[in-house]
Amino acid sequence: MSRKLSTGRAINEALAIAMESDPDVILLGEDVVGGGTLEADGVDEMGGVVGTTKGLVKRFGRDRVLDTPISEMGLLGTAVGAAATGLRPVAELMFMDFLGVCLDPLLNQAAKLRYMFGGKVRIPLTVRTLCGAGMQAAAQHSQSLYWITAGIPGLKTVIPSNPADAKGLLLAAIRDDNPVVFCEPKLILNQVGEVPEGDYEVPIGVAHLARQGGDVSLVGFGGTVPIALRAADLLAAEGIQADVLDLRSLAPLDEEAILTTLEKTGSLVVVDEATPRCGIASDVAALCVDRGFDSLNTPVRRVTAPHAPVPFSAVLEQAYLPSAERVVETVRALG
Amino acid sequence: MAIPISMPKLGMTMEEGTLLHWEVEVGARVEKGETLYVIESEKTEAEIEATAAGYLRHVYVEPGDVVPCGTLLAAIADAPDADFDPEAFRHEHDRATTAPEPSAPAPAPAPAPATDTRTEAGRRPVAPAARKLARELEVDLERIPGSGPGGRVTREDVRTYADLRASLVEVGGGVGLEVPRLGAGDPVLLLPGFGTDVSSFAAQTPALAEHHLVLGVNPQGVGLSDDPELDTHPVSRAAADAAAVIDGPIHVVGASLGAAAAIELALEQPERVRSLTLITPFVRADARLQAVTEAWARIAAECSPETLARALLPWLFSRDWLADDTARERGVRGLAASVARVRATALGRIAAGLRAWSGTRVDDLARIDIPTLVVVAGADLLTPNGAAVATAIPRAECLEVRQAGHAVAVEAAEVVTDRLLSHLAAH
Amino acid sequence: MQLSREQLLDAYARMRTIRAFEEKLEELVKGGKLGGFLHLYAGEEAVAVGVCSHLGDADIVTSTHRGHGHCIAKGVDVKGMMAELFGRATGVCKGKGGSMHIADVDRGMLGANGIVGAGIPLTTGAALTAKLKKTENVAVCFFGDGATNQGQFHESLNMAANWQLPAVYVVENNGFGEFTPTEYVVPVKDIAERARSYAMRSDIADGMDFFDVYQRAGEAIERARHGEGPTLLECKTYRFMGHFVGDPLVYRPKEEAEDWIQNRDPLLNFESKVSEAGMLEESDLREIDGAVSRLLEEAIAEAETAPLPELASILTDVYAE
Repeated sequence: MSRKLSTGRAINEALAIAMESDPDVILLGEDVVGGGTLEADGVDEMGGVVGTTKGLVKRFGRDRVLDTPISEMGLLGTAVGAAATGLRPVAELMFMDFLGVCLDPLLNQAAKLRYMFGGKVRIPLTVRTLCGAGMQAAAQHSQSLYWITAGIPGLKTVIPSNPADAKGLLLAAIRDDNPVVFCEPKLILNQVGEVPEGDYEVPIGVAHLARQGGDVSLVGFGGTVPIALRAADLLAAEGIQADVLDLRSLAPLDEEAILTTLEKTGSLVVVDEATPRCGIASDVAALCVDRGFDSLNTPVRRVTAPHAPVPFSAVLEQAYLPSAERVVETVRALG
Repeated sequence: MAIPISMPKLGMTMEEGTLLHWEVEVGARVEKGETLYVIESEKTEAEIEATAAGYLRHVYVEPGDVVPCGTLLAAIADAPDADFDPEAFRHEHDRATTAPEPSAPAPAPAPAPATDTRTEAGRRPVAPAARKLARELEVDLERIPGSGPGGRVTREDVRTYADLRASLVEVGGGVGLEVPRLGAGDPVLLLPGFGTDVSSFAAQTPALAEHHLVLGVNPQGVGLSDDPELDTHPVSRAAADAAAVIDGPIHVVGASLGAAAAIELALEQPERVRSLTLITPFVRADARLQAVTEAWARIAAECSPETLARALLPWLFSRDWLADDTARERGVRGLAASVARVRATALGRIAAGLRAWSGTRVDDLARIDIPTLVVVAGADLLTPNGAAVATAIPRAECLEVRQAGHAVAVEAAEVVTDRLLSHLAAH
Repeated sequence: MQLSREQLLDAYARMRTIRAFEEKLEELVKGGKLGGFLHLYAGEEAVAVGVCSHLGDADIVTSTHRGHGHCIAKGVDVKGMMAELFGRATGVCKGKGGSMHIADVDRGMLGANGIVGAGIPLTTGAALTAKLKKTENVAVCFFGDGATNQGQFHESLNMAANWQLPAVYVVENNGFGEFTPTEYVVPVKDIAERARSYAMRSDIADGMDFFDVYQRAGEAIERARHGEGPTLLECKTYRFMGHFVGDPLVYRPKEEAEDWIQNRDPLLNFESKVSEAGMLEESDLREIDGAVSRLLEEAIAEAETAPLPELASILTDVYAE
């Protein structure tokens, strides 16, 4: 059985299922309740800056859905400590841009305690965070910083591209005994799709081939999967059939899936809405050249944002983001 | 705004030219229509006019350089010291075409220059997947034309080339020949004449194929056959190549220069030849034949196949045949198609081979102990002494077609076909 | 609070173990036998032991880069610690952590930490767990005066106060943050004052006096255990050695150090108090000294010959299965 839900609603459903099935799951973050004094009349909870967590405090109470002060470092560090001592916390980092003020709890604590302590501790922490551009939120609230967390050993980083995967990946992330960063791309927040009912997980570390075609491989994740699929439709009209690979998981990365599609088509284009240096697109390109060299019939191309902060003006932001047209042009120019 | 000056392609088969000298110095003024530079190609000099007025701003190629057609030679600007970036201009305008491609099936047209690929001058980019495939299929990457951006050799290019090579018959020394085949039964080799391919036997082939395995042997330099670009094409080698196409006893049918190859084969490997058919043969190339083959080579280098065919018609056909408009136009089309499949660069060398062979086998004809049919044509301007060949070969019979010209197998198709069939059946 | 004879012997033994351990390490480092950054706790033993005497294995403790004392006080195996410092596979962290990351969660020791202030939110999280799971466990954080300038100190205390968490934040004010005297960088005279910003209880103890620490820590821990909320406990103390082994100590007056070492030594302090009160005999203490000495000799000997970690262990325990 499935019905249409937005990505935000699908995430909400996953949180409810996780909290229902495991009393150790708690939710903490800034405004995750967002309702001031719930006891007063005429006052309702916000349920987060985009309403994703609305309704959870009513079901699970203020002991398990905790509003924190605006203290990203404190809240993430607390979440790590709680995870290390028996809880299974889901901490919200309201915008991934705020990683700047709280990198240490993730980088030096959550990612490394197990390793440094010789394996004796588990950190079953999930960090949910809004990432990416597309809402005119401007330079400090629109970044895609998953390349930072994906590069840190000890952390996992996942990113859904549609509502059904959002639910399943979040449940998998919460139940994983490792610290997992769960990215919620703004580009897909309002996307609506079929979401199965009930409890299910999308495995971490497994990519999904969203479309099959033998002429070119388009690799995307998060908000760039719909872009790649649109590009594939445009290319099909020109007689070019594309594989579209949805990575779903940035760390661990499904390297075999990438190499398989490359071997099939010989031509690979990565679509990433982050900035171009040191990113996922470069990582995938390096993998192709390193382990897929003999499959390369054309250069590996990366369609990314430019090396600049995210601009505010709508016309600029739209040009900043990768588009289906840019992907099509890139594929055509492969020759 | 500068104007590019590139090595022109004068004629369908021209692939490269030599810059002999610049008529104008760098920085000097040139008017439209004035001679700007002189090139040489296929032993012919050509004065090339400036396509626009202006100043010779920059020169990329020096006298003596040999470059492919489309290579950027120079730039003309509207002032002698106008702002000019030679590398960027070259990047934008250089359209040097790559190695010669077989005329059929044709790969993609001349590629646009790549924006990002960096290769040293003279090295073509090759996709890794293409390299790997070439290794696996054991084909020589150097010979594969690239259809990708910047002349990149792609996987598809390798596959196309490999399929092509698979269709060729290996005759030793890494050389493959295009050998169209038809029918079944005892094998018959067809060896075409100078500057043509086996389609010159089109009138005979269907009938032959009803009783025989017909193998049309396109020699080196013709059609899809390899052209290793050695100094000469000795007739003896053409004969050896033909003999290597198939094992066992063979009927050999040769026309004109093909007959010379047939004679060589009969002398060198007599045990293999069941019967010999020599159509308008020669053992000594007279002055007219030599002049015609030389002119043939030049015209092929400079003109279209249709023009070449029209120029050759009077030498190959009788006056009566030429008088028939329909037959003549049909003949032009057929001949044009045939001569188009011969590489102009090979013709000169084939002609040299012909000249070298001329006169060397006059006394050896008497040694041929093979049933032979000699077909001579009464109006043959090029090889009028065919009857003497029939006389010299002990077991030869002669068919004279009085009205026909040198291309007797085309002009008197039925007569030739019938007699040929009987001859083959008898031996 | 009255301590039994066993408790007193145990407290002395742990303090002595800490002192001997740190002194041995200084020898080993200066003798070139140990690598890495080592930060030694000598002089502050009364704080660690005074606090941890109230804690069981289920209570959580986090510490700093100067963590050996807290580990020993919390009951982490001394031989395992020594092997860890020698980088051996038998180390308590399998040779993967080293001095600044020694831990043993089985003993409730959630690790020394190389990041200043990082343990404070971790403790807050452990206290959150205790509260939500209603375990009556307590989470205690040891950190230095320098860490109280970190944003995460303020954020954590703020949250702990809001949520009334069962935590005790023990600031070991030894007068220096690395090489900088505390008064240059902390505007308040007593760091305990900072608790007022969070409406949190606070207390100040003489960190060189085991009994004063024991008393005040006991109260704070009891309050926490009974749901009365967190406390910031400032212990005024002094580190006898440098910030790290090899520190030339040019930033601190030699006479000042000498004065603390000669006259304020917590072990001497303890000994004189228990002797005066007739609680323990000198022979008891000397016996413990001897046992500690032998323990350390054994620990070093075993560590020196213990197997080194396999290269493949570089990749183990990055993730939980």
